Amino acid sequence: MYEKDTIVALATPLGKGGIGVVRVSGPLVTDIANGMIGGIPEERIATFTSFLDAGGSPVDQGLALLFKSPRSFTGEDVLEIQGHGGPVVMNLIVERVVELGARLARPGEFSERAFLNDKIDLSQAEAIADLIDSASNQAAMSAMRSLRGEFSRKVYHITESLVQLRTYVEAAIDFPEEEIDFLEDPRVNSGLDALIEKISDLKNEATQGALLREGVSIVLAGRPNAGKSSLMNRFTGTDTSIVTEIAGTTRDVIDEHVHLDGVPIRLIDTAGLREGGDPIEIEGVRRAVKEIDQADFVLIVVDLGAHREDLNSHVEQLMYEIPNNAPYLVVLNKSDIWQPTTVDLSCEYVLTSAVTGVGIDVLKGRLKEGIGYTVGGEGTFIARSRHLDALQRGLEALSKGKTAFADSRAGELLAEELRRCQLALGEITGEFTSDDLLGRIFSSFCIGK
Amino acid sequence: MTEKHFEVIVVGGGHAGTEAALASSRMGCRTLLLTQNIETLGQMSCNPAIGGIGKSHLVKEIDALGGIMARAADEAGIHFRTLNARKGPAVRATRAQADRALYKTAIRNALEEQPNLLIFQQSVDDLLVAGDRIEGVTTQMGLSFYAPTVVLTVGTFLGGVIHVGMEKREGGRAGDAPSNRLAARLRELPFQVGRLKTGTPPRIDGKTIDYSELESQPGDEPRPAMSYLSTGEEHPRQVACHITHTNEKTHDAIRAGLDRSPLFTGEIDGVGPRYCPSIEDKVVRFTDRSSHQIFIEPEGLNTREVYPNGISTSLPYDVQLDLVQSIKGFEQAHITRPGYAIEYDYFEPRDLRTSLETRYLAGLYFAGQINGTTGYEEAAAQGLVAGINAALSVKEEGLWCPDRSQAYIGVLIDDLITLGTKEPYRMFTSRAEYRLVLRQDNADRRLTAIGRKLGLIDNDRWRMFSEKEAGIGALSKEMASRWVQPGDAKFENHLGKPLSREYNLLDLLKRPEVEVESLLSLAGLPDNNAGVSEQVEIDCKYAGYISRQQQEIDRVRSQHGLGIPKDIDYSGVAGLSNEVSQKLHEVRPETIGQAARISGVTPAAVSLLLIYLKKHKASAALKSA
Repeated sequence: MYEKDTIVALATPLGKGGIGVVRVSGPLVTDIANGMIGGIPEERIATFTSFLDAGGSPVDQGLALLFKSPRSFTGEDVLEIQGHGGPVVMNLIVERVVELGARLARPGEFSERAFLNDKIDLSQAEAIADLIDSASNQAAMSAMRSLRGEFSRKVYHITESLVQLRTYVEAAIDFPEEEIDFLEDPRVNSGLDALIEKISDLKNEATQGALLREGVSIVLAGRPNAGKSSLMNRFTGTDTSIVTEIAGTTRDVIDEHVHLDGVPIRLIDTAGLREGGDPIEIEGVRRAVKEIDQADFVLIVVDLGAHREDLNSHVEQLMYEIPNNAPYLVVLNKSDIWQPTTVDLSCEYVLTSAVTGVGIDVLKGRLKEGIGYTVGGEGTFIARSRHLDALQRGLEALSKGKTAFADSRAGELLAEELRRCQLALGEITGEFTSDDLLGRIFSSFCIGK
Repeated sequence: MTEKHFEVIVVGGGHAGTEAALASSRMGCRTLLLTQNIETLGQMSCNPAIGGIGKSHLVKEIDALGGIMARAADEAGIHFRTLNARKGPAVRATRAQADRALYKTAIRNALEEQPNLLIFQQSVDDLLVAGDRIEGVTTQMGLSFYAPTVVLTVGTFLGGVIHVGMEKREGGRAGDAPSNRLAARLRELPFQVGRLKTGTPPRIDGKTIDYSELESQPGDEPRPAMSYLSTGEEHPRQVACHITHTNEKTHDAIRAGLDRSPLFTGEIDGVGPRYCPSIEDKVVRFTDRSSHQIFIEPEGLNTREVYPNGISTSLPYDVQLDLVQSIKGFEQAHITRPGYAIEYDYFEPRDLRTSLETRYLAGLYFAGQINGTTGYEEAAAQGLVAGINAALSVKEEGLWCPDRSQAYIGVLIDDLITLGTKEPYRMFTSRAEYRLVLRQDNADRRLTAIGRKLGLIDNDRWRMFSEKEAGIGALSKEMASRWVQPGDAKFENHLGKPLSREYNLLDLLKRPEVEVESLLSLAGLPDNNAGVSEQVEIDCKYAGYISRQQQEIDRVRSQHGLGIPKDIDYSGVAGLSNEVSQKLHEVRPETIGQAARISGVTPAAVSLLLIYLKKHKASAALKSA
């Protein structure tokens, strides 16, 4: 059996209503049980308990289940924590498990371990490979979505500052006979402080909810009067958990934070797409296009009543106008006014009536699938958690490095922590190799005698 | 020569070749060393220095495995310095300026004294091949020598072309002929060939330098040494180096000559090292610098010639003269040998196994610049590994190469065979992810016991090593059992603050400001062996970092140690993208760990590979049952 590290993941889709299960597997399971619930639950017996944070205060209550190796799903020690399913609480539980020494599992990693430990039949090899492949692709897409906009800009900015700092520190170590002593350069200390501050700020913003709870963005797009606003009201009206309500900078872009079965969503209503109009409307359309471009998911809303004769060509026209880099779903709205007997569309669609509420549940279900909240899948919410986890590890490394540098002035310990920080950030922005670093040194300084 | 059959044949007598030949003969294999010229055994073709950052780590590892480089550097070293003294033990390094003649003598003596080793002066023209196995070599005179293993260490001699200004001629090094017939022969084999470039500065007659104006840089006292066996007594007389700088006049002279620079007119297409640019390159690329540093390195005790390190150039001779004479202290300088650039063939190192055996011809090993590296130390390290593995293969034992967590040698070889190289590869400490563990002070503790098992370590070295290890154990035990009470004025005065509770000496040593020497003297304990107390101090102060890296190493080893069969068909691995399977096919990694280090191979791809291997293994077991 492979001696592995300990991994953690949500085993159930995020949803407010039901139960959420966090699964932990690996050698640290008993330590984690001790830290999380203050003891080791009896094997294979569901134990009702509180889940504690680092300070010993309960985060949630629920059941803990311990499966000892080899009699478990993965063949390793496994702990299952069943909590109340809300994404924020579940995320706190996962964070706590990570704090206790586990790392976030890669997509499909539980099944992979089960397979490698002979818990899954060899004939399933292809199926497991498929699962890993598709789950990784989905996670990669979610990660890209999480990296849009302001968050991405800040992360890349932080990474760039880190690389600059490392360029100084590593040049000081590998090229001590150049005429500048890079370690004595005040830029090293000030750069380190600035970097710590930047990561802390970004982390705080995220933890306070501005980034994490904002969730995925879903844009309603379509012609004026297609029923977008009524659909928006259907969502916000049936779901009372409105977090904030912010009017857009123009009257034409409105966004609201809602929970879709506990999953945080930013729902954005846009100006109806059409050519011409007054300058304000043209500006509104321009902004709508921008929102659509940045959306995680687009609902293309069609007015059935207005397109009884040309439904197909109208849908085609809309698809042509709307930038298609995000997943989308066509919503055939106003089914209370008219309903086609057969629909012959080449894309996925749902039939709804914002007025009567018919089809809204189907729409919600499709929406959740579409943005990746399905079993085994990985949505933007998890992707964002991964990113924050990486930032946290980067921050810890920097703080240690700062202390070590202050204590001993030994550049090598600072360099080591900067390297670890880079490894953590690299999980977000992609690998940065030692050769990349050397390249930066040679292009920044005239090195070599 | 009557003997025709050997167990190992080494071609080339540079830094790689000598370590290879010494290692295989020390391991008991009948070895033949073929060199173009016995007078150039152990020749330092570039600057007269051994060691430096990242490089002394290699030298000490070679020494810990019984190699010759460190001892030769101690016997020939006329100026020693410790670099990065205050940046921490892991990045601390030693550099020796060596007397070229003394260095060659030390190497030649070691070769001549080595049992099982024959030296013969002959240029090799051809390889003897049977099927996909090497059988021996044929020399210029038509003599054939046979062996199941051949180590090629031919440096820059394969298709070497020397450039000075717009003049170019064939050569392996200034004054030596290239190995063109061998180069042509190797080009017929399926190896992928590339071109690299390196260069040297003009040498100067020291009599014509005005040192009175120049900054003098003496060696360090106490004087560091290279070899773990060194007592410091083998060092010859010590001399100083000097420092001068280029100026705007120098840069003007260079700019005026650029139209006759082979580098800038496109004559040279080999890739040069980014960290060792020629002076014309520096002037062109860093226009904001009005001055560049030059280290004046003495060539030896019995010569006035010096090596002005920092002005490597392939500009025409008249420009070289202008630029040299524009430099402070060099106004009247006489150039004894013009600088030049050399282009040479190298072979894609990703075609090698970890043993440095080539993938296309069993029994043929490559080491040194032929693999795209630069530097004596990098060459010697590869020579040692190739020599060891040639001997292991003769003895029908499994191959050995240190991994990335064991030695810089492991980092070097893994980088070469996994990532390949596009420029001359030089070692830097930043290449080692386990830098805090891979220190020059503990190379013996990392490698000597392994070397002993391989048959590389003689009884004297083994005894010294064992005594040191025992000393480290005894001293840390002693320090852990010595307790200091609060109120102990001697210690509290030294620490500058009162003790809050009882501490043992190891606890106190953990504090960043406390040094082992003063602690031992306060406690009245003898400090007989600086090597021993140093290890206790580093182990103690860095315990947290070292154990964290060790945990990482253990984890990676258990996950990544799994071997990949040579005949694996990556197109059959479910789920792998074409791009990843193409990369894996090119590198042919030997382990999962090596596969994971190939750029573009994602964790998901590694998972897919693991699943494939598991299934493959099970079905193979089923078939054989």
